[in-house]
Amino acid sequence: MTTGTATALACRDVSVNFGPVAALADVSVNFAEGMIHAVVGQNGAGKTTFARVAAGIVRPDKGGVEIAGREVPVGHVGQARAAGIEIVHQSFALPPSFTVAEAMEFGANGSGSLYTRRDLERRWTRHLESLGVRVKPRERIRDLPVETQQAVEIARALVTDARVLILDEPTAVLSPSGIDNLFERLKVMQANGVTVILILHKIREVLAIADTVTVLRGGKLVEGPTSTAEVDAARLAASIIGSTDDILSETDRDALVGAAEDEGKETEPAHHAGPAILDMRGVSTRPDPEGPALENVALTVGRGEIVGIAGVEGNGQRTLVRALSHLADLTGGTITLSGVEVTHHPLSARRANGLRVIPFERNSEGLSLSSALWENWSARALLRDGVLKLISPARLRRACTAALQVWDVRFNSPNQPAGSLSGGNAQKLILAREVDDEATLIIAAQPTRGLDVGATAFVWRSLREARDRGCGILLISSDLDELFDISDRIVVMLSGRINGEFSHPYHLGEIGAAMTGADR
Amino acid sequence: MDETIIAILRSGTPLVYVTLAGVLAQRAGIWHLGLEGLMIIGACSAVLGLVQGGSIIVGLGIGIVLCVLASALLWFVIEKLRANPIIAGLGLTGLGLGGTDLAVQAIYGSQASVNAPHGLPRLGPAFGEYGVLSILVVLMPVAVIAVWILTRRTRWGLQLAACGEHPFAARSVGVNPARMRLAALCLGGVLCALGGAELSMGSLQIFAYGMTAGRGFMAFAAVIFGGGNPLGATGAAFFFAIVGALGIRAQLLFGERVPPDFLLALPYVATVIGVWISGKLRGGAKAAASFGELRDY
Repeated sequence: MTTGTATALACRDVSVNFGPVAALADVSVNFAEGMIHAVVGQNGAGKTTFARVAAGIVRPDKGGVEIAGREVPVGHVGQARAAGIEIVHQSFALPPSFTVAEAMEFGANGSGSLYTRRDLERRWTRHLESLGVRVKPRERIRDLPVETQQAVEIARALVTDARVLILDEPTAVLSPSGIDNLFERLKVMQANGVTVILILHKIREVLAIADTVTVLRGGKLVEGPTSTAEVDAARLAASIIGSTDDILSETDRDALVGAAEDEGKETEPAHHAGPAILDMRGVSTRPDPEGPALENVALTVGRGEIVGIAGVEGNGQRTLVRALSHLADLTGGTITLSGVEVTHHPLSARRANGLRVIPFERNSEGLSLSSALWENWSARALLRDGVLKLISPARLRRACTAALQVWDVRFNSPNQPAGSLSGGNAQKLILAREVDDEATLIIAAQPTRGLDVGATAFVWRSLREARDRGCGILLISSDLDELFDISDRIVVMLSGRINGEFSHPYHLGEIGAAMTGADR
Repeated sequence: MDETIIAILRSGTPLVYVTLAGVLAQRAGIWHLGLEGLMIIGACSAVLGLVQGGSIIVGLGIGIVLCVLASALLWFVIEKLRANPIIAGLGLTGLGLGGTDLAVQAIYGSQASVNAPHGLPRLGPAFGEYGVLSILVVLMPVAVIAVWILTRRTRWGLQLAACGEHPFAARSVGVNPARMRLAALCLGGVLCALGGAELSMGSLQIFAYGMTAGRGFMAFAAVIFGGGNPLGATGAAFFFAIVGALGIRAQLLFGERVPPDFLLALPYVATVIGVWISGKLRGGAKAAASFGELRDY
């Protein structure tokens, strides 16, 4: 820290426990005024908790927060906001049915009890224009594209006279060009005297924007704030990940921390895909509750091939998975699985044909959290067998225990509810169920989201092993580093259409352009 | 014609008050199935208060106090004891139906209906045929407009809606969702007390066990039909009232040829159809997906 600069935000000995888990342990850190600070760390390192403590949303078990040199009572959002701190959440916190103007108004302070719709729109149009956000104040939040939603959320955070703005993983939902725009916007805010604290997990982004970097690992402060001029990617990667050399190859590690070069490297001999396992031709669907309709999607996945689906979230990835799972209404096209046309077959028939799904929402679609581990694990076999086949819980429990041990799930008893597992172990349980010998096509939707280093590495290894056994794998991820690292081929989705296909070596610029449709 | 309009206003007004209470709760994120119970508590208190206390003010006052207390109880069970709002609401309905019956039993030693010497103040002969309507009928549009302004034209209303739709968003700007829900439920309690009083004292001047006869649930249907907008929900409540009045009319006209039970069932059939249509209009299943859940992460 350079002496002489005022401190915008200081945390003293902050500790937060969620049940037996320590999310933050004695974190003390000072952020200087007028800079852009990055806080980095792996999933589960306590970054979000840290941000929420600073914003007053989470009350720490111990410790204090100072804003601009003044002590602020912890766990009190109103006081923190009055002191000038605002937060933009990772999964945005604006009610989807609100119009943009309403979303601005509901968090504003001061008087203004009665309003007319026109008043409201006029007032907030000016505010939005001053921030360079181009959006109609009458539009509803849920109808906005992700990047505009984020811009609105930032504008929402600035309705008060914020001195410190915290953004929790703002880049996770953005396309590469969206990230550039965001960074431009943040620099303008910095020039206006706002202190920006960015929660990030990619080293590339840290080095591109931040003045200082602070690293959290396992809830502890590892280093920082250190000036970014003094660090390099390799050292940062080491402090973020710690000593886990044994489970990660160097390229995996770079992918994990977002330190890989822009030009993806040729990491391994290109995989030669066998005959197609999945062949979608001209598939279109009706508009789906979970995203835009598919339009004329043609997609193949060969034996022993990992095909990555890139795209900003909400561009039809969920509809694609639903169409493959017979949950979306097809209006045209054919789906062929291992040479059998399954366009009109129910999911059970498709599963019998080797389709396996690791769904987007691990806790609501992947598992029944209130059911026992063995029940969750046995679902595959139970669905396949006839409805009148007798079930032997004892035998299933034994088989489940054996399988979970093979898959390295940490558990006490097959009878414990799935909800008691950590995120990584829950995902391993799903893998144990979905990645079996009869699998021919595995759909992995965001399989590493929210997982820590070890679990992420485990998922990647499992998918690669399945590929090497001859499975076709369709990997959907919003993390380009992950896709670049393990996909043999990348397909970009935009508004329910396929907007480009890429093979090694991948170029961030090209794929980023395809994600936003900038090339059209 | 005037007669029909009077009939519609009489049966519609209690429904509108209770519907407004449901709208407030729905904005706060609670699907309020205790409306029926609150309504009958209001109806019973008004009559018993007048008979025992000798004054309509006492009756209304007791009704309002009891309904607010019952609403606060519902809030406590949902918010502090983490009960499912649907179950808790149904419990409150049971409490209201059973509790009022018990009160009548305890005081009069029988379950017979209780007659009041007079009803709510009337508009008076200056209004011609409409003079028989109670002052709560006139107050009803005022309540509708007030709730509309409160929920749709104030920052408080936006914050309330945020608590209902996305409590975490509300917490992030320093609003306490639990406190907002308490306010919405208690305000709804006052409205239910008025609705109940109008039901028992507006035209009948009588309290009988179970006299709400499902009106609370009809109001709940109007809330869903109106999609969270007080004006829409009021319209829906009147739609049900009109169907009911037409049912009675039809009974008089051709009760000979059509079974009367069928005509009496019309409002309930209309309720089912209304909810079905409103579901169709806004993609049905989507509204039901978050039914009774309070999302907070």
